[in-house]
Amino acid sequence: MKNIKIKKIAVTALVILSLMGCTKDIDFNQLDDANIHTAFISTLIYLNLTAPDFLNDFNQEIRVTSDFIEPPITDETKPYLEKVEFTVITKNTFNRNFKLSITFYDAFGAPIYVLQPIINVPENSSELTTIIEIPKADIHFIYNTRYFGFTILLSPSTDGSVILISDTSKFDLKSSAKLFFNYRKI
Amino acid sequence: MRKCSLFIFLVYAIGFGQNKQVLYDFAGLPQTLLLNPGAEVENKFHIGLPLFSQVSAQGGFTGFSAYDIFADNGIDINDKIKAAVNKYGTAEFVAFNQQLEVLSGGFRLPNNDYLSFGFYEEVDFLAKIPRDMVDLFYEGNTVIDRRYSIKKLAARAEMVGVLHAGLSKKINEKWNLGARAKIYSGVFNINSKSNSGSFYTEEGTQNMYRQHLDNVNFLMQTSGIFFHDGEEIDVSYVKSKLLFGGNLGVGVDLGFTHHYSKQWTITGSILDFGFINNSKNVESFLYKGDYQVEGVQLSFDPDNPEDYWSDLKDDFDNSILSDTLYKSYISFRPVKLNGSASYSFGRKYDDCRFLIDRGLYVNKMGFQLFSTVGAVHSYVAGTLFFERWINKHLQTKLTYTVDPYSFSNVGLGLSTHIGIVNLYVTADNLLSLNNIYNAKSASFQMGINFIFKDKN
Repeated sequence: MKNIKIKKIAVTALVILSLMGCTKDIDFNQLDDANIHTAFISTLIYLNLTAPDFLNDFNQEIRVTSDFIEPPITDETKPYLEKVEFTVITKNTFNRNFKLSITFYDAFGAPIYVLQPIINVPENSSELTTIIEIPKADIHFIYNTRYFGFTILLSPSTDGSVILISDTSKFDLKSSAKLFFNYRKI
Repeated sequence: MRKCSLFIFLVYAIGFGQNKQVLYDFAGLPQTLLLNPGAEVENKFHIGLPLFSQVSAQGGFTGFSAYDIFADNGIDINDKIKAAVNKYGTAEFVAFNQQLEVLSGGFRLPNNDYLSFGFYEEVDFLAKIPRDMVDLFYEGNTVIDRRYSIKKLAARAEMVGVLHAGLSKKINEKWNLGARAKIYSGVFNINSKSNSGSFYTEEGTQNMYRQHLDNVNFLMQTSGIFFHDGEEIDVSYVKSKLLFGGNLGVGVDLGFTHHYSKQWTITGSILDFGFINNSKNVESFLYKGDYQVEGVQLSFDPDNPEDYWSDLKDDFDNSILSDTLYKSYISFRPVKLNGSASYSFGRKYDDCRFLIDRGLYVNKMGFQLFSTVGAVHSYVAGTLFFERWINKHLQTKLTYTVDPYSFSNVGLGLSTHIGIVNLYVTADNLLSLNNIYNAKSASFQMGINFIFKDKN
């Protein structure tokens, strides 16, 4: 009698378990709507320029000076990178205005993109922060870039004075980039 | 929409590493000898149906379930992902283990010892993923001074063929001891453990930020993954490596059964106490060192143009040692420990209330402990069980297990004997059957044996 009861219980349990072998509603297509928004910050260039950096061998002012960086850029992040935000902090104790422009050049050396706005550094200015954004529509320029050019333009003085080798003034620049990614199903 | 999908339940979710709590010490099955070489079997001899004597798969992920993310409940999937990330522990692990017994057999020796032997293939994978890595991917590195550490990052994966032979010996009425020798033939192995290092960003002095790779020490050893001599990976390659053409190793299982009293029994075993010498197609990757960078200082000196990126890379390479090693290495198999204490009760009577067998109890209940000990990850699982002979053809075992995946893991085993044919099926996490996608782990074993018992 007891055995029969146990058998019944076992069979009932098995039937229940079999019937329970189901799933609640699930929708894997939701993956199409998944977005993971991530931001990474990276340190960039910095400058500590003094008077000799703006003078040639004859101690004459150099009005325009440039430098270049050629980092390897791969396409791996291209589908996911949505925006780049540059933060530039400048400090200028020179009695002169500076303008800094950043230009993207392609493999043929042709300029393809100029970061806007051009950074304006007034004379005798304390720390100034400039935010520059590359919007989503312009992101593709990054991936077509072979090297980045940095150009400093030294504006003429209003009083006709020039930078002397003995000038102890400084032009400092700090920068970082914030890259905004959106990982999603492509 | 409700779908009956027992199959998905069985194959879903990469299961739980190697705890065969339902199969352990169950029904005197020949396969229990693989979990405890000191288990008692009553067979005269047995042979497993080739390739079908034990098909086993287990897997799981402790972090979250498929249902946590894909439930069709009107909540935005991005909110569900966020919730899953928020409840992610310090480190979660994903595990998968699969075994296929190719050959299995055994027979009783004239001195009454039971000799069993066989060959099985096993794939084992376990990865431990620290929360820091999830946060770095999910949130980025915008939190200044937050350290993202790889200290808990570890992984192992391997595929092996195992030839084994074991002896179960009855010492006296109280003790039964057993041992099993194993020869491993590894198809591939990946091993990464004891990693250290962190990545963080702090405020800089020269520049806005200074970024660090601090105390990095990462080693990933591989064998049978990278090939340089034109070897092609196909079925014949895998077969040849499984059948002792791979990286060889040895191991041993030890176990016992102790009848503390007539009704109380204690068992224990240690499995896979062994190693593999990985010497073929070895390629290991080492990264070690400290690195910090504040950025690139432009000099604006047209007379001495600098290759800033190259200088930066050289500085990195000088700071972080990056090496590829081709030296053989030893990988230890994850050691498994099993133990149980059980109490048998309930005599078997026939319909006329005559005692059928004085030594036979039809019920057994008790407690089992399982632990796996390895450099990558160790854990403990506890199981309460009840086992019963339903009739002379059917034996059942019900288990309740607490493990790192769940506090509500109920398993069931069925073993039938009809003539010489034995069919057994075991599975766990049955409570998740009402929503299989909500299971964080699942496992099953099944097989067919031909068991011949002494007529007396």
